[in-house]
Amino acid sequence: MPLAADLTYSWSQALADLGQIAPIAALVLFMLFAIVTDLVLPPKRRGDAVAIVAVTGFAYSAGTVGYRWVYATGGYAYHRFATGDNFALFFEMLFAVLGVLTVALSHSYLRRRRMVQAEFHILIMAAVIGMMVLASATSLVSIFLGLELFSVALYILSGFARGESRSQEAAAKYLLIGGFASAFVLYGMALTYGGAGTTVIPDIATRLGSSSSGNPLIVLGIVLMGVGFAFKVSAAPFHMWTPDVYQGAPIPVTAFMSVGTKAAAFAMIVRVFASGLPHLAPEWQALLALISAASMVWGNLAAIAQSSIKRMMAYSGVAQAGYILIGVIAGGTNGIAAVLYYLFVYMFMNFGAFAVITLLAGPDGDRDGFEDLKGLYQKNRIMAIAISVFMLSLAGFPPSVGFFGKLFLFTAGVGAGYTWLVVLAVVMSAVSFFYYVRLLVPVWTPAAQPEVVPGSFSSKTAIVLAGLASVALGLYPTTLLLAGQLGANPITPP
Amino acid sequence: MTLSAIWVLPLVGGAVVAFLPPRFAKWLGVLVALATLAVSGYVAYSFTPGQSGYQFVEKAAWISPLNVLYELGVDGISLWLVVLNAFLTVIAVLAVPISRRTGGFVGLLLAMSAGLAGVFMATDLVLFYVFWEAMLIPAYFLLWQFGEGRRPGAAALKFVLYTLVGSLLMLVGVIGEYIATGKHTFDMATLATLAPSSGLQFALFTVFALAFAIKTPLFPFHSWLPDAYMAAPTPMLVTFAGVMGKAGAYGFLRIALPLFPHPADWWDWSWVIPVLAVAAILWGALMALAQRDMKLLVAYSSVSHMGFIILGIFALNVQGQQGAVLQMVNHGVIIAALFLIVAWISERAGTRDRSAMAGLARRMPIMAGVFAVVTFAALGLPGLNSFVGEFMTMLGAWERAPALAAVAAIGLVLTPVYMLRLFQGVMQGEPAGIALRSDIRAAQLTLLAPLIILMFVLGLDPNLLTNLMTSLGTIGLAH
Repeated sequence: MPLAADLTYSWSQALADLGQIAPIAALVLFMLFAIVTDLVLPPKRRGDAVAIVAVTGFAYSAGTVGYRWVYATGGYAYHRFATGDNFALFFEMLFAVLGVLTVALSHSYLRRRRMVQAEFHILIMAAVIGMMVLASATSLVSIFLGLELFSVALYILSGFARGESRSQEAAAKYLLIGGFASAFVLYGMALTYGGAGTTVIPDIATRLGSSSSGNPLIVLGIVLMGVGFAFKVSAAPFHMWTPDVYQGAPIPVTAFMSVGTKAAAFAMIVRVFASGLPHLAPEWQALLALISAASMVWGNLAAIAQSSIKRMMAYSGVAQAGYILIGVIAGGTNGIAAVLYYLFVYMFMNFGAFAVITLLAGPDGDRDGFEDLKGLYQKNRIMAIAISVFMLSLAGFPPSVGFFGKLFLFTAGVGAGYTWLVVLAVVMSAVSFFYYVRLLVPVWTPAAQPEVVPGSFSSKTAIVLAGLASVALGLYPTTLLLAGQLGANPITPP
Repeated sequence: MTLSAIWVLPLVGGAVVAFLPPRFAKWLGVLVALATLAVSGYVAYSFTPGQSGYQFVEKAAWISPLNVLYELGVDGISLWLVVLNAFLTVIAVLAVPISRRTGGFVGLLLAMSAGLAGVFMATDLVLFYVFWEAMLIPAYFLLWQFGEGRRPGAAALKFVLYTLVGSLLMLVGVIGEYIATGKHTFDMATLATLAPSSGLQFALFTVFALAFAIKTPLFPFHSWLPDAYMAAPTPMLVTFAGVMGKAGAYGFLRIALPLFPHPADWWDWSWVIPVLAVAAILWGALMALAQRDMKLLVAYSSVSHMGFIILGIFALNVQGQQGAVLQMVNHGVIIAALFLIVAWISERAGTRDRSAMAGLARRMPIMAGVFAVVTFAALGLPGLNSFVGEFMTMLGAWERAPALAAVAAIGLVLTPVYMLRLFQGVMQGEPAGIALRSDIRAAQLTLLAPLIILMFVLGLDPNLLTNLMTSLGTIGLAH
């Protein structure tokens, strides 16, 4: 089949294929343009210009996604290596918005920390491209391509504070453990290929009938891929890199990666497991249920003991990965839609929380101790309210998005019969309130000498927008949830 | 839109008020609270008695994929709690002292009252849950930021964690009910017609009852209450003690009983809960007897009185449940007045220790008079409001099981003991200890006047409330 298709590959087919990956292609062009801009312009004006190119690129890419969501029909491209279905589009929109937020946030941060701006933005674009490739990939090979593309960009970004040994350490750790995880994923993919005889995900599903359950080759493949995926979503017990890397990397990178890596890795899990191996659901559901339970317990308990905000947020991310996994395990349109909804709103609340901490950074380094937040309400009441919204949302209080995300995940979980997992999640949510609110204590405690919080217009706008989204998408979650259902359709046809 | 206004008005008003300068904030806050009271009053005035089903219903699709509705309505039970909440919010906002942070204080008070109003009006389980949880946020910040004592933050955290464990488990219950009934709806009226299997009923009742028992609070889940009430600033206590506890009792009446009418599997909850209620009556009264701190004494008396309300609800007959609703309103009025008076006395005395005061009546005769009325109301003197409600709950309990009523009656005997001992000790006898000169201020008297008037009105004509209780939403008061 593929060979025959090769021979008839026509220009019109090429254009159609390009259309399916239009949001990615557009962003690649913008990135190339950004590189040229960086080369051509005088050093002083490079940073701003590249930032503008990056934001325009993300916005254009988001616009393409919107257009294709409404007017175009999603289908496979490049011999079913990639697709432009609603699932891919949903994630591409998420990554484009994340890109805009990251550039807006890091602009003043980079200046304050005297870091190279142009390269930073270009690397963010590269990472976003990798994530988008991952989201639209429908072959094990293209999935791995996307995974490596964004991982490599993030290895560089996490060591971006060149003068700081901690940042270097983070980069080295991330590189080593990331490579380790990639190896796991690759090995698992190889075994799956051996069992199924193809790397194309829809073909894997059709070739492995229901009789394949228990096939040792595939089961081992699932376990290895599952371990690799768990590394990437930072789920326990494969989360050990997370706190160190989150702490060492510059905060905008941490903010970007905490959301981006997680969303991309979940796109990968859903695409490979739910879409590619539906007949082996009992196997991977059991594995993911264990990982989910471990993440919720470990993440929430370890977060309590942290004294660095970044590390606390890292463990909170571990716990959140556990909640999101419930939706993957539950599966079905409701489960996957809940995962998509949660990932989209997780972007706003988690990114927003990191973004507020970014404002505290001084020229000498990041500040992420709890005491650094002291008296924030005196310095800037809007920022104090914003971080309160993010924390209460992460803790799952209505009417914020965090509550509705959990409601959808838990409803799917109970509906699929995983009540024990939901009860565990609920108990751990109560625990999580303790450390999320612990962060608010210094925010609302008066400080002796309140100093002004620096921060540019763009970063504060990004925070306020994330805060508004965290409330508005909760007061009326329906549109985003319906979009999530449309996004889930290619995975589990209704 | 009338009912929506009752929660939107204080919420939006509160958000605006929070950013205003102090004096301005307080009076705008009073205005907002009065407007809300006016709307609630209008609803009560144009409410049709004797008509079954919810009135002033608002219904719109909200989260359509899960069939969650934005659905509000009031019936003869919830109407009075909505009015009580709006009324006490006015008093609470008026009681807020002017300081640099008045704006935040009033804003949070209004936000909490918006959440409470939503709890009483919501007729969709998810919407109910959203209001139920959301009101914890302003309550937490009020306790923590404006609390008294050395560590208000710790008390606030204890309160929220306690309630959170209960309400998060209730969330599993909400979802479980949605899945178990198979109808995929959160509409309470529909769910009330679809009782799940007995084992499931038992499990679901357990999680719902736990959340409501913690909120009420019911013995033995009351240990957050002394800490929280001690830390709470007085204006907050007016609605915190006056209304929020009723949300738990209301939950039993509106959700737990109608949705799970026979919660018996391993044991029968409809017998266990009233036994716990009697235990709360006795425990609260005994603890109140042992306190020297006036505020703590009133806090424990609240535990005891909430026990009567739960006992009335679980009498499972008309007298008991009508009495319970009546008593919710009565207790709200009385406890608000008690906390205000105790706060004013201790503010003048500089201590809350009742043994440090004696014979204050000579120094502050008007305060003594007012205090006497409230004391008599609290101990259930005929002619004042609490008498009818308590009498009806006891009557109902007696009908269900004479033993329950008999033991609960010990609580009725203990109430006058600790209330009169408090009043006599502080106000009567030879002046000793701390000498006070100033009597109650005119502004404070005006604040109390509506509460006192209500105590007489409701005491002399309880039909005012019970008449409208004949028109009900999901349930008849008894089965």
